[in-house]
Amino acid sequence: MYKFFLYFVLTITYLGLAKALSPTEVGVQYLQNEKSFSKILKDPSVSVILIDTHSTGFLIKTYYQKYRVISGYDNIEEIIVRTSREYAKKNIKNVGLSLFRKLENKEEYLPVPPGSHYVGNAEYGEWRTTKTGVVKWYFWKAYKDFPKFFGWGKWRPTEEFHQQLRNSQVSNKAFYGVAQEFGINGRVTRENFPHFFKSERTKQINMKDLLIEYFKENF
Amino acid sequence: MAEIFDRLVIRILLAGFVCLMIYLYRYAHVIFYPSVKRQVLKQINPAENPADSLHLFSRVVGIAIIFSSITFNETSGFLLSIFHFTVWGSISIVLYLLSLYIVESIVFYNFDYTDEILKRKNMSYAVISFCHAIVIAYLTKTVMVEADNSIVILLVLWLYMLVIVGFSVKYFTFISKLTFNRLLIQQNLSLCFAYGGFSLGAGIIIASCFDQEHYDITVYCIQVLLKTTLSLIIFPIFKKGIAYIFPVKLGNDRGFEEQIDIDRQSYGYGFYEGCLFISAAILTTMIVNRIQFGTIYPFF
Repeated sequence: MYKFFLYFVLTITYLGLAKALSPTEVGVQYLQNEKSFSKILKDPSVSVILIDTHSTGFLIKTYYQKYRVISGYDNIEEIIVRTSREYAKKNIKNVGLSLFRKLENKEEYLPVPPGSHYVGNAEYGEWRTTKTGVVKWYFWKAYKDFPKFFGWGKWRPTEEFHQQLRNSQVSNKAFYGVAQEFGINGRVTRENFPHFFKSERTKQINMKDLLIEYFKENF
Repeated sequence: MAEIFDRLVIRILLAGFVCLMIYLYRYAHVIFYPSVKRQVLKQINPAENPADSLHLFSRVVGIAIIFSSITFNETSGFLLSIFHFTVWGSISIVLYLLSLYIVESIVFYNFDYTDEILKRKNMSYAVISFCHAIVIAYLTKTVMVEADNSIVILLVLWLYMLVIVGFSVKYFTFISKLTFNRLLIQQNLSLCFAYGGFSLGAGIIIASCFDQEHYDITVYCIQVLLKTTLSLIIFPIFKKGIAYIFPVKLGNDRGFEEQIDIDRQSYGYGFYEGCLFISAAILTTMIVNRIQFGTIYPFF
């Protein structure tokens, strides 16, 4: 009994020491849920886009998410956070969407296409009629890099998009675009965040192929 | 041809110089063991006292192991490389003998070298001392390699190694069924086989904990501490596992305590425990050091 107790204490000590001292634990912040963003990001104006998600571990999984953080009008950085299982599962389909926005200290957590909170704000751009007669949103020249930062590519929001965005905000439902252009099944996200959709990331593991490959490599 | 001959001469000269350093060691040995001055400085008769011969020559093996970690860099000049070897050789001799002195003070706190080796010719004591000499030499060599010609780092790592070894030798009484002090007084060889296996196993584990890349001494020491603690968790799993797979029977069918105790003092039980400790230790190093978990970064 005494030896079991010592062994238990030793295991707890190891876990505690590894947690406190291991270099892999240093520098990666923990994100419990969407409310925790404001603890990590202190800027008064910030937009956070989920660009990658990954889990490690065999029996006990650890979940990581990678975000593109756009603060001010030209500051862009990428951060990796460790997150809770619930939050990771909840946002598994929301790659390419903005999960957190803060504009003049007003916070929003609804998953919507990135940059949506600027659409319709005359300080950032205007509605223009294109040659095909469709009205689309364009940023002012000072914010010309925003579409690139938000991963829009050649896509631009339309008035219909703006209307549906408002409806989703009222009903508090995630919004993936008029034709579902955003999210893991969205065309715009696939084009502008190709790293997440690389073939080796999405490939299903077949045990037979894996064994054949193993024997080819090793024998 | 001239160049090849020159290199051969250099090798012969350096071999002679290493012999000179071992000769210096002979006198350094006397500093830590003043009671053997007469034995060490005169011609040794191995047949007269095998325990003393084993005790002394185990140190010579240890010194040879440590010297094997020092490199001659002939490109920087023959004299400079000799000087480098002299400095590092002397440091290693001092650290090695000091380590042995400290570890043996912990393990043999109830015993005296003069009584056990010179008077009683205790072979059990000599074999345990032999194992200490080999293990300490191997560990000193490991920390010297890790120190990479930095005396400050060498001293830090050496002290750190000594602390871990100091704790590990006390671990024997915790995991072995043999009574150390009683069996050592009885000159029991079962004990020395069991303890030999234990100390060599502990040496393998500690050396593997120190054997890792390092860029920052603090992070390195933390990693060593974590690996040592992890080894303490993994080692009992293998020890119990092997003992479960290969169960041993002690005593007769009636299971008298006296018979069990007698069986434990046999060579066979000593071999069994020694092999159990070594194999568990080697497997522990595999689990602690040879599993690559990777990081999140290739994916991100």
